[in-house]
Amino acid sequence: MSEVKYEKPTINKIEFAMASKYGSPMKTQNIRTEIDGVSVNKLTEKYGSPIFVFSQRQIEEKYNTLYSAFSSRYPDVTFGWSYKTNYLNEICKVFHNLGSIAEVVSEFEYQKARALGIEGKNIIFNGPYKPYEDLKIAVQEGAKIHVDNLFELNDLEKIADELDMKIPVAIRINMDTGTYPQWSRFGFNYESGDAYEAIKRMYDGGKLYLNGIHSHIGTFMLDANAYKLATTKIMQLKAQVETDFNSEIEYIDLGGGFASKSNLKGVYQSADVIVPTADDYAQAITDAIYANNKSEKLPKLYLETGRAMIDEAGYLLTSVHGYKRFPDGKKGYILDAGVNLLYTSTWYNFNIELDKHYEGENEPSMLNGPLCMNIDVIEEHLMLPALDRGSVLTISPVGAYNYTQAMQFIRYKPAVVMIDTKGEAHVIKDVDDLATVNYKEV
Amino acid sequence: MNTIDQLVLDENNILFYPMMGNSYQLNNLGNEIVTSLKQHKTKDEIIEALALKYEVSKSELFIDVSDFLSKLKIYGLLS
Ligand SMILES: Cc1ncc(COP(=O)(O)O)c(C=O)c1O
Repeated sequence: MSEVKYEKPTINKIEFAMASKYGSPMKTQNIRTEIDGVSVNKLTEKYGSPIFVFSQRQIEEKYNTLYSAFSSRYPDVTFGWSYKTNYLNEICKVFHNLGSIAEVVSEFEYQKARALGIEGKNIIFNGPYKPYEDLKIAVQEGAKIHVDNLFELNDLEKIADELDMKIPVAIRINMDTGTYPQWSRFGFNYESGDAYEAIKRMYDGGKLYLNGIHSHIGTFMLDANAYKLATTKIMQLKAQVETDFNSEIEYIDLGGGFASKSNLKGVYQSADVIVPTADDYAQAITDAIYANNKSEKLPKLYLETGRAMIDEAGYLLTSVHGYKRFPDGKKGYILDAGVNLLYTSTWYNFNIELDKHYEGENEPSMLNGPLCMNIDVIEEHLMLPALDRGSVLTISPVGAYNYTQAMQFIRYKPAVVMIDTKGEAHVIKDVDDLATVNYKEV
Repeated sequence: MNTIDQLVLDENNILFYPMMGNSYQLNNLGNEIVTSLKQHKTKDEIIEALALKYEVSKSELFIDVSDFLSKLKIYGLLS
């Protein structure tokens, strides 16, 4: 045998339309060999494949960018870590160590925050469904309760009687901010007067008082101006309530929704072009507070930024298991990770990066997961060179919502590794096994 | 005449199919396989020869050569 280097045989029809001054789709390869200095191949060798990888350095940088965008413009701002975005304990701890309080939308998220040592007063309890007993515990522990509906308001009055106390609450409102779709399912509508009515009802009852106004206008908001409108409406409502009920509202909360640099399907400009910066969002919100503040004190400002904090700090490493040639000529790769781990693949196109440079041209390819399901498509059409079996692909950004929504379906949920700020990798969640899957079955 | 006999292969690994006016970019191994096909070698013979030349198992070569031949068929270059 000789030492002639082997390169898989390829043939591709030459489409002259494809050659352009922007570089050839037949040649472009996106390569990632490491994350924060740790080789992707070493990560999968050591911890298995597929595997989720988070960069603590990138989380901290993002937090600092967002925090300073606001703190440089406004004296009193606090972020609440949106647990549902990613509630792995070690991830939550990173945010809490940076100064975030917790934002939760269920009893189990609430319990998780408490188990991490977060005091009730540092937990924002949101959401349309707060079971009575859990709501009562949250009230007793001094949590920030954001009322979603009139049933909850009644429950809170009952709790006030039971505990013989007057309960401070915030109200979630929704409104038209000129964006589509309008999130009108949560909280009380501003324009219709429902929000004001609910507040009046609250004061009439005499058992609750308002200390905050909250809105979360939607997710992946590409228009910073929508926040200006939302803030303006919140500040107007605040001024009206303070006058009408002779009260002082301590805080406003603008929720989450800042876009991350994901590529939304059907949008052809790159995320770098269309996603507003942290400064754009901060400017929009703080300008509107200053412009509409009627009280002596500025309100405390809370934000519940989820995806923009963590999406780009999360990666999924997956390995090529094999490939097939489909009847339409496309090459279909079988990967060890699929849509079971990539819930957001319905809406976003991911960056797919190769672990090395390949000689040879790209050809139309498709990435399929390991599930025995026709819907298991990570990427329907992309140009790739002939990949080796076992080569590692890095899929990003996947830090927001993918792990929390990953399904234990057909395959075990994979391990999660965090690379700390010294560049060392640690397992923060082990891969599941039969015992985890069978847990609590009879 | 067989389609494969009509194909013209140049030194830049471009394969030309005069009847359809289409061109195809090959890599070196693609070129080697098309050259062997034009010499009327069988799939097994091609795999044997490649196994002697490269440090790759026959089982892997079988997958890659089969795939290459499927793509030639999809392009209508091989019957
Ligand atoms: C009340 C609330 N706050 C914060 C968030 C986090 O949103 P995002 O990840 O878009 O920043 C959500 C997400 O839906 C939410 O419902």
